[in-house]
Amino acid sequence: MNHDPAIIAGALSALELAIARALTLAPVAAKELEDMAGTHIVIECTRPEIDVTISIDEAGQLQLKQYSEEAVSTRVRGSAEDFIALVTADDPAATLINSKLEIIGNTAPLLALQAILSKIDIDWEAPLVDALGDVAGHQLAKFLRAFFSWSQSAGKSLRRQLSEFILEEGRLSPPNAELEHFYQEVGRLGLRVDRLQSRIQRLAKRLREYDQ
Amino acid sequence: MSTQDQRGEQPESADGDTTDFGFRRVKRGDKEQLVRGVFDSVASRYDMMNDLMSAGIHRLWKRFTIELSAVRPGQTVLDIAGGTGDLAARFSRIVGADGKVILADINASMLAVGRDRLIDEGVVGNVHTVQCDAQALAFPDNSIDCITIAFGLRNVTDKEKALRSMERVLKPGGRLLVLEFSKPTNPVLEQVYDTYSFRVLPLMGKWVANDSESYRYLAESIRKHPDQETLLGMMEDAGFVNCQYHNMTGGIVAVHRGIKA
Repeated sequence: MNHDPAIIAGALSALELAIARALTLAPVAAKELEDMAGTHIVIECTRPEIDVTISIDEAGQLQLKQYSEEAVSTRVRGSAEDFIALVTADDPAATLINSKLEIIGNTAPLLALQAILSKIDIDWEAPLVDALGDVAGHQLAKFLRAFFSWSQSAGKSLRRQLSEFILEEGRLSPPNAELEHFYQEVGRLGLRVDRLQSRIQRLAKRLREYDQ
Repeated sequence: MSTQDQRGEQPESADGDTTDFGFRRVKRGDKEQLVRGVFDSVASRYDMMNDLMSAGIHRLWKRFTIELSAVRPGQTVLDIAGGTGDLAARFSRIVGADGKVILADINASMLAVGRDRLIDEGVVGNVHTVQCDAQALAFPDNSIDCITIAFGLRNVTDKEKALRSMERVLKPGGRLLVLEFSKPTNPVLEQVYDTYSFRVLPLMGKWVANDSESYRYLAESIRKHPDQETLLGMMEDAGFVNCQYHNMTGGIVAVHRGIKA
């Protein structure tokens, strides 16, 4: 499917601007990105069909392009869901290995970029203080920090309780260990069936030779 | 007269002693002067009107054009009809201190606005401004890595001659990018676009720039400009290879790219 380049350019431009704004408030991440200058990573999204090249310039700024002729260090192909799973993963290396993403080239720059972006620590207080003054800005930042902290712990708690309800109380889904065990058993059964099939084929071949 | 009637009333492009100036036929020698009059009139408000008329989308069209140029540090870029210098400013950052950007325009008023704007933005050192005619580029053969002409080709009297001139100054392997208004691919969009161009645009020009005639000419010149396939053929005739185009915003604008063999 051919998308209108102007629409893609608009989306990439907005995303690039948002990342640039975030990086101005996260100096540590910006410094780490500077060390990756000259890296070009191509994201080939198969569903929806869009190619985006992520380039890191000398100033550590991310540039997102829909067309690039630079020599790329890493090319990653997969669907939008696969990429979202990678970006939000706690363990990106494991996600990369276990997901359906197809990787061509060096995985290290991709993992390094994911690690930098996922641990961006934005200093929200600086722009608030600039806009509202020292006292009001600090108070608002304090309130927002407390609110975000509470929502994070509330979210974690909700996820844990939901998981407990689904697995233990509702018995709506088998526990992970049970599922893993089941998959291993299925795998073992598959191997045994393969062995049995080859033994039958050997016996059938021997029988044909005996008849002749 | 409806816009549809107007669209078909004149043959395309220059022939014999006359050429098109919007929907009018004028002597070939007069077109340059008339176009100059239009741009002298709109130069001071050109950027603001561009933002207003395209709702800022012209920045996205230019962004994609720059991506297609694949310009690298150290290269020489010629931005013809560069006007107020927004492409030149972006190329200046890409080519860096070792590269060179030449902002060229036939119109002194536009060039002055562009030069002042670049200086105000601190874009200096690797940018040079040159007043020149796209039909007779005053540069040595095989000397430029990339040429861009954004929303300028339709104002050139002899487009074929201009394309040949661009091909001459490009280095082998160098690329030409023509960003220009074109023909919408969807008939419904075409109707809406016609209404907007011939009814809203001149009004906007009158209210904001106090000059409805210049903006009427802009709308008319867009309709007289060759469509995507015709321009592609013209580029191939001028000697460019691997020519292709990308429609943007439903074909309202297209960017053509050709490589010098």
